[in-house]
Amino acid sequence: MDFTLPGEDDPRRIEIRAWFEANPKPSYRQIAERGLAAPNWPAPWGLSAGPELVLIVDQELERAGIAHPHLKNPIGTNQCGQSLLKWGTEAQRQRFLPPALACEEVWCMLFSEPSGGSDLGALRTTARREGDDYVINGQKIWTSLAHRAQVGVIVLRTDSTVPKHRGLSVLLVDMASPGITVRPIIDMTGEENEYNEVFLDDVRVPAGNLLGAEGDGWRIVMEQLQTERQGMTMPGAVWGNGPTARELVDGLIRTGRIKDPVLRDEAAKLYIEGELLRLLTYRNMSNKINGKPAGFEGNLGKMIASPHGQRLSDLAKRSQGPAGMIDDPDVLPLPDREFGLFDNWDYAYWFAPAATLGVGTQEILKNTVAERILGLPRDTDPTAATPFNEINRQQPKVA
Amino acid sequence: MDFTLSDDHVALRDAAQSFLDKEVDLKPLLQPGATVADAGYDRLWRKIAELGWPSLVVPEAQGGLGMSHIDLAMIVGEMGRTLAPAPFFGTLAGTWAIVKAGSDDQKDRLLGPVVAGTCRLALAMAGQDGRIGEAVAATAIAGGHRLTGKAWYVVDAAAADRIVVAADLDGATGYFVVDPQAAEVAVELLNWRDITRQVGTVTLAGAPGELLTEGNAATWPWLRDRLYLVLAAESAAGAHAALDDAVAYAKERIAFGRQLGAFQAIKHQLAEIAGQAECATAAVHYAAWALTEADPRGPLAAAMAQSYASEAYRDATYRNVQVFGAIGFTWEMKNHLYYKRARCNAALLGAPAQQREEVIRFLEREAAAA
Repeated sequence: MDFTLPGEDDPRRIEIRAWFEANPKPSYRQIAERGLAAPNWPAPWGLSAGPELVLIVDQELERAGIAHPHLKNPIGTNQCGQSLLKWGTEAQRQRFLPPALACEEVWCMLFSEPSGGSDLGALRTTARREGDDYVINGQKIWTSLAHRAQVGVIVLRTDSTVPKHRGLSVLLVDMASPGITVRPIIDMTGEENEYNEVFLDDVRVPAGNLLGAEGDGWRIVMEQLQTERQGMTMPGAVWGNGPTARELVDGLIRTGRIKDPVLRDEAAKLYIEGELLRLLTYRNMSNKINGKPAGFEGNLGKMIASPHGQRLSDLAKRSQGPAGMIDDPDVLPLPDREFGLFDNWDYAYWFAPAATLGVGTQEILKNTVAERILGLPRDTDPTAATPFNEINRQQPKVA
Repeated sequence: MDFTLSDDHVALRDAAQSFLDKEVDLKPLLQPGATVADAGYDRLWRKIAELGWPSLVVPEAQGGLGMSHIDLAMIVGEMGRTLAPAPFFGTLAGTWAIVKAGSDDQKDRLLGPVVAGTCRLALAMAGQDGRIGEAVAATAIAGGHRLTGKAWYVVDAAAADRIVVAADLDGATGYFVVDPQAAEVAVELLNWRDITRQVGTVTLAGAPGELLTEGNAATWPWLRDRLYLVLAAESAAGAHAALDDAVAYAKERIAFGRQLGAFQAIKHQLAEIAGQAECATAAVHYAAWALTEADPRGPLAAAMAQSYASEAYRDATYRNVQVFGAIGFTWEMKNHLYYKRARCNAALLGAPAQQREEVIRFLEREAAAA
């Protein structure tokens, strides 16, 4: 056991820093080819990096003033790109991964539908085989980045005659395909367009873009969700991103607000919880080595991290008193650093309700922790064993 | 960088686990009126002494094992998980006081019998109000010191062969070794609610005490960090034990035709406890490492661990009783032993909010120095 983080003199750090010095303004293509876009993936995509090297790469990107590829193309360089390592064909990897890691093609993930998010297995979007193509019809919602993405990873139903989780498949979709309409959702923050509705009308996708086999969809998306959740366990303001309790306490000290006895104890609680989340995440990072799909630890981490982030931004805003209710990103001083989308406490605060909804509601996460980690009985789903196309006929009428 | 336990640490924990699972029997305590004496307090001590645990934190120079705080946390965690009723805490605390405040000669002389398993120790440092080093006054006399006052909440005082007493000496805290057999010393048991521990008062009426000559203002913070680690290690492991116990019961108990644990009201609460128990364990490992390495953040890590693990343990034992339902509220079940240990651990060295205040002060000092 050794909690020392890799030092300034770590040879791996020196090597990577030298590369950034030799390539002071690298393109994302160059960064990807050096293996730094997804360092935990195996060659030729990454460096088969363990937790230490991943941390070094993160820190050296930050030091070079470069926004992390995970911020530029989060879905392509993390959970969805990663699933091509296991489920993709070599042709798919060669076609999709280089531009994904180079952030030249942005990816989006088409999962939730208007009829359900938590009960993802009941999704209604379909794909039917026609010759060498699949033809997709349906509607997705809450799709991040759909308005900017070139590649969509979509889960849909290819067989309605089997129980709901068994008839799902994953396709890689060109988002410029005819029949795709993307419409922005204005969320309750009223700020920039984060989410979209996506309408799919007779969208044709080559059958070669099927990931895995027909019917593998549920297993693929569950792996993608576990990996995505694991990326959300760091103690940031929203989903592991943005300022942390360290910045919160520092800001409260610098403004003198830490002297308020009520804020003071809450700040200490949050500081402690943040440090412990960081330790848990480092401990679990070993499970993420070499592009392996994550286990269920990410659920426990996100279950703690999401409300933790909500309490962080809540305390930051409360430290302002009524002035905090004015629309103004200047809440507490923050260090000059790249924080990504959630780069101020005000936006994080008004965005906070979504943190316990997106990528698994808090209730779904608690179910998963209870069932998969503690081994408690699975929740009952009366529709789980019924062929999907017979479910609606059996459902009781709502009074 | 390696945030996981080494194989050696796991092996040490497993060995302590199988020993304590075999030796600890809490059943006698499930009779009203029973005390640690009925639950093998002395017998368990002899077994522990045979294993050499009293010498775990005695330096090698004094013939001890000089083990790291990570090793220690493995063993103390198992003591906490099983609520092992034995005078171990007192001996650890007294040993550390002698290690930190004693001269080389004093360490050799006083710790030799500890290593041999023939001397049990206790540390008396608090007054009735919990303040440190103020309840007992020391006066210099020819050839030594006399101590007068009353120390409270002294763990394992009645079993101790020597008691280290923190006392005020000319406005500073000094550490004195006292023989409890002396006529001027009276040890009385308190009706401490955690009946798996023996806690008492020590009244000194001009009792002779040997001053540990190297004690200074740094002694108490150093001791406090280590005592925090011990309680936090007990509490984190205890929280896991309370969780495991509740999970097992939730799988076994049937209500409304289903296992209790099938209900989300139960599942979600236990999931919360699982999160807290994991965080508490991470806090203990970090503090154990930081104290082992004399990391500058050691005091911060220890205070974080004690405040977090205390509250996690309280929450876990509360939830444990709730999941069991009314049967968990009876004396005949062991749930209350854990429930009480959790609350006593969260009070013995000051409240969690007090440790959080120490955390914030540490961060304020760090920010001022930056």
